[in-house]
Amino acid sequence: MPLHPLSPLASALLSLTAIAGLLCVFVMLGSRWLDKYLYAFAAESWAIAALAAVIAVSRNNDPELYLIAALTALFRGLALPYLIWRMIRRLAVTRELHEILRPASGLVIGAAAVVFALAVSYRLRDSLNLGGAVVILALTVMIAIQLIGFLMLAVRQEAVTQVIGLLVLENGILVGALILIPGMPLLIELMLLFDVLIAVACFGVLVRYLTIHIGTTSTLALKRLVG
Amino acid sequence: MIGALLLVLAIAPALVVIFCLLLRSPRGAAALNLAGAVAVFMAAVALILLAGGGSYRFWHDYILFDAPAAWVVLCAALVYLLSAIYAIGYMPQLGEDRRLPQFYALFAGFALAILVSPLMNNAALYWIAIEATTLVSTFLVAFERAAESLEAAWKYIIVVSAGISLALFGTVLFYWGGSFALGPSYNMTWDALLRAAPGMNPSLVMFAFLLVLVGYGTKVGLAPMHTWLPDAHSESPAPISAMLSGALLNAAMLGIVRFLKIADAAPTVGLPRTALVALGALSLLVAALFIVRQQSIKRLMAYSSVEHMGVIALGFGFGGVFGVAGALYHMLNHALNKSLMFFGAGNMMRSFGSKQIKDLRRVGAHFPVPAALWLAGAVAITGAPPFGLFLSELAVLRAGFERAFGWAAALMAVLLIVIFVGFLNHFRAMYWDEPADWAATARTPLAMSLWCVVPMALALLPLLVLGLWWPQAVWRFLADIAHSLKAAAP
Amino acid sequence: MSLRDILLQIAQVLTVLAFSPLLQGTILKWEERVQRARGPSLFQPYRDLWKLFHKELVVPQTASFIYWLAPIVAFTAMLTVPILIPVLTDYPLPLSDMGDILGGGLILTLGSFMIVLAGLDSGSAYGGIGASRAVMVAILAEPTLILVFVGITLLAKAMLPFVVNHLLVASPAVYWGPAHLFLVAAFFILLLVETDRLPIHSSTHIEVYMIEEARILEYSGPLLAILKWASMMKQFILYTIFCNVLVIPWGLSHYGTALGAFGALLALLGKFLAVALVVVFVETAQSRLRFYRYQEPLAASFLLAVLAIVATQI
Repeated sequence: MPLHPLSPLASALLSLTAIAGLLCVFVMLGSRWLDKYLYAFAAESWAIAALAAVIAVSRNNDPELYLIAALTALFRGLALPYLIWRMIRRLAVTRELHEILRPASGLVIGAAAVVFALAVSYRLRDSLNLGGAVVILALTVMIAIQLIGFLMLAVRQEAVTQVIGLLVLENGILVGALILIPGMPLLIELMLLFDVLIAVACFGVLVRYLTIHIGTTSTLALKRLVG
Repeated sequence: MIGALLLVLAIAPALVVIFCLLLRSPRGAAALNLAGAVAVFMAAVALILLAGGGSYRFWHDYILFDAPAAWVVLCAALVYLLSAIYAIGYMPQLGEDRRLPQFYALFAGFALAILVSPLMNNAALYWIAIEATTLVSTFLVAFERAAESLEAAWKYIIVVSAGISLALFGTVLFYWGGSFALGPSYNMTWDALLRAAPGMNPSLVMFAFLLVLVGYGTKVGLAPMHTWLPDAHSESPAPISAMLSGALLNAAMLGIVRFLKIADAAPTVGLPRTALVALGALSLLVAALFIVRQQSIKRLMAYSSVEHMGVIALGFGFGGVFGVAGALYHMLNHALNKSLMFFGAGNMMRSFGSKQIKDLRRVGAHFPVPAALWLAGAVAITGAPPFGLFLSELAVLRAGFERAFGWAAALMAVLLIVIFVGFLNHFRAMYWDEPADWAATARTPLAMSLWCVVPMALALLPLLVLGLWWPQAVWRFLADIAHSLKAAAP
Repeated sequence: MSLRDILLQIAQVLTVLAFSPLLQGTILKWEERVQRARGPSLFQPYRDLWKLFHKELVVPQTASFIYWLAPIVAFTAMLTVPILIPVLTDYPLPLSDMGDILGGGLILTLGSFMIVLAGLDSGSAYGGIGASRAVMVAILAEPTLILVFVGITLLAKAMLPFVVNHLLVASPAVYWGPAHLFLVAAFFILLLVETDRLPIHSSTHIEVYMIEEARILEYSGPLLAILKWASMMKQFILYTIFCNVLVIPWGLSHYGTALGAFGALLALLGKFLAVALVVVFVETAQSRLRFYRYQEPLAASFLLAVLAIVATQI
């Protein structure tokens, strides 16, 4: 069983940081304001960094995981939100103007998604014959964040929100990877991080082009190509 | 020797990127790109002749050069060469001369990313390479900076990035499954996953494979994740459309194939194959429906790409020697044919000044030679003999009937007929219908550059040859790949 | 079933009865103090109740027996619930197994329900408006309240509040675990809603904005005093559940001596002061939401309750 047994307090902290990350995604889902999305994303990245630190402590102070925690806090928690903040600052919009799904309804659908994720991870856990609640936690949070990230991508029409939705998807995978496979080689984690950074830089350029050539960053205006 | 050739494969486009960024002259950049493409093509041909069917590992097992990778690299290099020739004649017509060096730099960078991704031995590095191709090609799709292009680029990057994040999820789950057998920290090479596969839990493998299928399937353009494909392929400049359709889709398909091999080794009951076949059949259905009522010429070609990716998916899903060999042969033929079609579409678009099929009339009368080539390509792409696609589709159909997927094979046959009729109906209209009004009749289309017509001929010729004669050596090569994918016996 | 326990049980009810106006006074005063005004005296609600008891009772002609029944039922319900929850002691007192957490919630809702009926009873327009709006808020809030109680039950695997209290005192892992913290957050939002702090703030004095006030617009004199006292007691009870069962389960009398009970009372007042200050702070930072947006904080609370329940299963 590749997962280390944890002391109860460490297990509680693990659950807390993982579910705090999930909660931040709900904050994004329940809001209309772009800067709230940003702060929630930054908070989620910090929660994931804390998660990595807890796992590092539980694996006998593994230095690689400490490094990942520090890099996550630095890059996903500070650099990425800064880049997106610069994007938002140059735009004229501050909030979602047209709602396809009201935030309150989004929260309820998100709650349903979490319950669904729990059911799926129970099935997986049973068929894998694993003990331990950590596996269920990891899978539930991972699947739930993916589902809610896709929900955000689908029902939000501002370009910046869609970018944040994509980053939320990657964050979800990071949460799952940290809990399930903390031994993943450091090189891969670093490359994924830099890949995300470059992706956000590309998004920034594209958003600028959208503003210049289409005039708005609302993707509801992107309906010229049909059929 | 293999290692040196692989380095050429990587360094040539990299050099083109660097020097194009430093140059100011568009002609120079185009020539440099062509030189790089020629070098890459020669290296790819040499690699496939030298390597035969063997596997070579480099760089502490991070680079793997085996037969499927060699084949995909060959297809990509071929399309790169043809597109590079075509771009010399096509790009000046856009009127963006000042930005052309950047275009060629991005072009070469795109080619580099596509060529490098099949060589990645590590599943996560392969994911990163595919993501890199997305990031680079977005700017190529958005090159013309019109509202439609930006819309297409935005849809492309959002849909594909969201899709391949699912693939990353699946990769993480595969790593986790492997960690039960291989320990918490191991290099996630394809061989390692294959070794761990027999011990992996079937539900986990099924779950992870479905995620990978949907994820990389978004990149390949399988329905229902294909929604970005018509937009991106139709709004990008024609040489890029050819690269996207002919080279990139194959590279993403390779990922699905490798994961399918791993999923087969695990004690699943054939559900992964069924899922792949279902998506392939759905792609054919969606493509058929949209081809019949299509109005834009380049979107027509894009949906044809969806169709052919569906055929390739069906081929790999059916398995067996005929299925896999047919699918791989289809990759090569489709790469040639789609380039031909996109080149023709680009030519007609520029000459007639419109993307709509109803504005392209009496094509044969205005441009005898290119039109003949294009019509031959249209007949080829709908799967008619004596061209290569006929042979590969026949092989796939045979595999389907042999391997208890008769329903899918029958559906494929019916839909291919529907597409044949629909697709060629558009061409009938373009070649032999009268223009809509007098003003259209009076307009004379612009002339086509020779650089734009020669690649079409260069693409058609091998297509004809490969259709009349499936070389024994190629057959043996593809059969070896089929056996190595353990697809021979269930 | 000793005499001491019976006396403690009576003392619990009397505590709620006697100190609920003090809590209300504290909250009102500190709301004003936070905004740098002087605010009414801490004991002003006592004076208000005294004044109302000495005023004339005016009964509408269209009122039926429900008009008389509703305040009495509400008041009695509020006297019953303190028997079930840990107010002064952390061990169950006589008759406290009459109802568990869910039963306590049910009785609280019974009181509100009767007052809604009374609002409809007299046939005035404002009564009707108040009743329908109050029921609307209740429709949004009650399922969440039930889910929170279910979450508490799943947390302790028992339905008695005392068991939850012991669990949280004994095990910091459970206290700091996500299930408990989310339940606290969900209950806090519900607390704001049920004790009508902003952003719901239903007790404005402008009739068309009224939600809860409009139900009791027809009441006067002693009946009005009883209704106001009942709502103050409901607030006190919700604070008690929040503090003694969830957030600050320490500070309750373990052995039931008189000194211990007195100490528990002082601790209770201290805890309430802390929570009241937090509530005042949260309230001052917000403005009143439009009615159709009441679903938003309640959806958030619902979500937190669901997450807490999910967290108990993990």
